[in-house]
Amino acid sequence: MDCPLCKNPMVVLELDCVETDYCTDCGGIWLDAGELEMLFADSAQAGELVSSFKPAEGIAEKPCRCPICLKKMQKIIASSGDKPVIIDRCPKEHGLWFDRGELSQILAKGTFDKERKVIKLLTEMFNQNGNEENNGN
Amino acid sequence: MLMWEQIRANKRNSILLLVLMAAVLSFIGWIIGMAFVSDPMAGTLGIVIAIGLWIIMVIVSFAGGDQIFLAASKAVPVTKNVHPQLFNVVEEMAIAAQLPMPKVYIIVDPAPNAFATGRSPQTASIAVTAGLLGRLNRDELQGVVAHEMSHILHRDILFVTLAGVMLGTITLISHVFLRGMFYSSMGSGRRYSSRSNSGGGQAQLVLMIIALIAAILAPLMATLLYFALSRRREYLADAGGARLTRYPEGLASALEKISQNTKPLAVANKVTAPMYIANPLQEEGMKLSDMTSTHPPISERIKVLRAMAGASFADYSNAFRKATNHSTPIPASALKSDEAVDIRQAGEKKAVDVKRQSRDVGDIMWRTNGYHFLTCACGLKMKIPPNFKSDKVKCPRCGRISAVQS
Repeated sequence: MDCPLCKNPMVVLELDCVETDYCTDCGGIWLDAGELEMLFADSAQAGELVSSFKPAEGIAEKPCRCPICLKKMQKIIASSGDKPVIIDRCPKEHGLWFDRGELSQILAKGTFDKERKVIKLLTEMFNQNGNEENNGN
Repeated sequence: MLMWEQIRANKRNSILLLVLMAAVLSFIGWIIGMAFVSDPMAGTLGIVIAIGLWIIMVIVSFAGGDQIFLAASKAVPVTKNVHPQLFNVVEEMAIAAQLPMPKVYIIVDPAPNAFATGRSPQTASIAVTAGLLGRLNRDELQGVVAHEMSHILHRDILFVTLAGVMLGTITLISHVFLRGMFYSSMGSGRRYSSRSNSGGGQAQLVLMIIALIAAILAPLMATLLYFALSRRREYLADAGGARLTRYPEGLASALEKISQNTKPLAVANKVTAPMYIANPLQEEGMKLSDMTSTHPPISERIKVLRAMAGASFADYSNAFRKATNHSTPIPASALKSDEAVDIRQAGEKKAVDVKRQSRDVGDIMWRTNGYHFLTCACGLKMKIPPNFKSDKVKCPRCGRISAVQS
């Protein structure tokens, strides 16, 4: 699968039976719909989480295309508050795209899931990455 | 230990099929010729063209019929390192059946299924889906491979490949003319059209006749093919598989797992469906075990396999009679020259973890697509695409840099 931003082939990362696609050039992360489902395997949270996302209107950010169906992805507000995080979602629900650092911002806010299972896993997977950014800020 | 009757029947059926096909094509050619010019010469010319087409078809099916099916099923030839166990099992079964090692293909699809193709044991191929490899343990995989090896051994593959190419051609002709009829009728069906004249009407009539013939023939051929393949062939391959592995339970539990699948195989179609170990076409959400048209009901096949006291043809034959109350599908000659075969012990069982299993299926698909696997010292598994640009990759978890082998 190719990165929606740099169009380079992405590397697949696996930890505890969960896969994510990761672009080594821009640091972006693709979360496949099937993987999200697996993450939330024993709860109805996946549906809740996805429905809690609100489409973001009038965002200047350049739209990018879903790496699976190549349709233009929608801009979605994943966490509100003083600093909203805008992520991309495939209109056909193939998955979610996080630009570099967006995932760690959402994870830091802790709105991603209540049981913190997903946070734990994803923080674990992109441990150093998140730290780097925190140091940079 | 060969089923000579079955092999002879398959060779005879293959020749019959070729003759039947030549007759059908000649007839269509004659009709087309006569429809355009009502002169016996035109009819003869039509037959000549049809025979030419037939010769091309025969050459195609003998030279590359199996390749067409493998390509249509998106099967990828794999090397031993993609799935060593599969190669190991195929080698084992080829030796047991005293056949040359067939080529091994993987179909990148999560639905579990398998088929064999080729015109002779020397050119045979076995294709299995990634879903099958991910779900079955070694004994079950061996059962499936042995079933396919029996199809090769019984020369079922020659007939199925020929029949598939023929059916494919008929379907194609039927589609072309049905569509031609549809569009031409749209054109002149327009009301108040001043262009409709007798010439157009005649061409349309010809198209209609051909379309009708093809439309009647296509399902007829399909039914013929299905009948020829039908239950007996599958039962015989099951019996052969049980005998080769000396472990009927392996195939039985593999069939059980296959029948629990509810996803249809995306790459299968009406023409290739009879080739698979279990019918790959089904309504979404419908279990495979409910389908009975081209394959015997899976539940019945499992029941017979589980009722076997030994692993010989005689044991299968007895179990078949007990389980189904029908007469045995095993030819008498095979029973006569049969010797007793004991059932062997079960191999070690693999613990089943649903998450791990579906990840394994995915890994087989990645490997088949040329991905290279790397495990970082910190435990993060990285799957590098074949067209990855850099020769080094930095682990996003711990920051270690690993070299990418190409």
